[in-house]
Amino acid sequence: MFRGKVRRHVEAIATGLKYLVKPNRITVYYPEEAIVLSERYRGMIHYDWDKCISCGLCAMICPADAMKMYRKKGEKKARPGINYQRCIFCGYCVDICPTNALSFTRVHDVAFEKLDEMLYPPEKFTSEWRSPAEERGARRLRVVFDEERGLKHVPEQ
Amino acid sequence: MGLVSSLVRLVLSPQFFGPIVFPGLVTVLAVLLSIIWVERKIAARVQMRVGPLYILRPLGGAIQMLADGLRFFFQEFIVPETVDRVPFLLAPVVAMSFAMLPFAFVPLAPNFKPYTVPYSMPAFLGLNTVIPLTVLAMAWGSNNKFSIQGGIREAYMTIAYEAVLFISAYSMALLYHTLDFAEMVEAQKVPGILLNPISALVFFIAMIMSAGKLPFDIVEGEQEIVAGPFTEYSGIAFGLTMGIGYVQLYGFTLAFTLMYLSGWEPLVAPLYSIYPALGGILLFVKAYLLLVFIVFLRAVYGRYRLDQALRIGWRTLFPLAIVSVFLSIALGVIGVV
Repeated sequence: MFRGKVRRHVEAIATGLKYLVKPNRITVYYPEEAIVLSERYRGMIHYDWDKCISCGLCAMICPADAMKMYRKKGEKKARPGINYQRCIFCGYCVDICPTNALSFTRVHDVAFEKLDEMLYPPEKFTSEWRSPAEERGARRLRVVFDEERGLKHVPEQ
Repeated sequence: MGLVSSLVRLVLSPQFFGPIVFPGLVTVLAVLLSIIWVERKIAARVQMRVGPLYILRPLGGAIQMLADGLRFFFQEFIVPETVDRVPFLLAPVVAMSFAMLPFAFVPLAPNFKPYTVPYSMPAFLGLNTVIPLTVLAMAWGSNNKFSIQGGIREAYMTIAYEAVLFISAYSMALLYHTLDFAEMVEAQKVPGILLNPISALVFFIAMIMSAGKLPFDIVEGEQEIVAGPFTEYSGIAFGLTMGIGYVQLYGFTLAFTLMYLSGWEPLVAPLYSIYPALGGILLFVKAYLLLVFIVFLRAVYGRYRLDQALRIGWRTLFPLAIVSVFLSIALGVIGVV
């Protein structure tokens, strides 16, 4: 028992030293490098003004009460707006939209200075999303499986 | 001219140079700034991360601690209304002072002692025992449930490691027939760690416990009790409380090097002939490497629980320390040293 204990201590320290000499890093240097996300990534939501038929299903299905229908005075049609303070990115609104007016983008790395800025009424909701890291020219990395290492990041071709 | 030369003579005198320049205050600050960065880098390497990077990127974030230290200086130091002000404000300063004082008893080279006393080893260890008391004062003065819990843990830990630390150190004193660090180094024809490995192991573990470093950071217990006795501290006082453990550990590694790793031997003669304190460079290098090894252990071990640490202290280390005393006596009787 005593020998087993000593052996395990030695093994633990040897493993630590192994990684100290030959580190097995997995860090992505984010602002300089960014991971290319999958096609189905649930990022910020984009709204297509022309496709929308104002059915209101998105506002009904939203479990977090983030989506709301806005109607301007004198207009018949109501249009959806989103509040990102509440949104949980579940994707119900995107799934239920009968005309695919709502779609997910692959952008998630955005920041807001004020809480009010997270409120997106219909006009603002149509704006395009851009990843700040990619705008600054981040190297694009793809996650691949590696037999020896587990996950690995390789530059995208 | 007379003033300048007398100033230079003052600075270069062992009584001043030892505690203030090397290995004392100035070196302590440099060690503090570097070792925390080294610790974070090593832990990051082992744990598949990068660690501090962006401050001075060409050197891998080497001055991260300088930035953190500056922040501590300019951060507001909040004194809560409910604290007992005198112990709350005084304890960190007293603790830091007592963490610095032992350096007055560390000899650097032959005939270069800051404070000449035949009992430098007990004096060194004795001054370190004041720090747990100041930690208790912090805990009591903070008037906070986490602080009190941390204080109680410190009290438990202190009785577990202190006897062990002293007994293992005194076993080396028995072996070398002296209580003086300098004479111990001279007595080591063979490094003490080879003569009495049990004592070295016990002292090594006890000194990590004493400094409260991982895997024995039970007093701070970041995951459970915020920062233990240091919970209520902010600004520069928090910086002080954070530094105490490292300063203590650095002092202990110097003592370990003197007792077990034959100190400054083999003496670098050319440097010693320029100025005696420079002969201590090898002592510093050994101690620093030991320090790096200890902070590396942080990345390897998980934390021990309080009861596990106490069990290690009383059931394993204490008997081993007694065994090391007998081993020392046996070696002394045979006449190895």
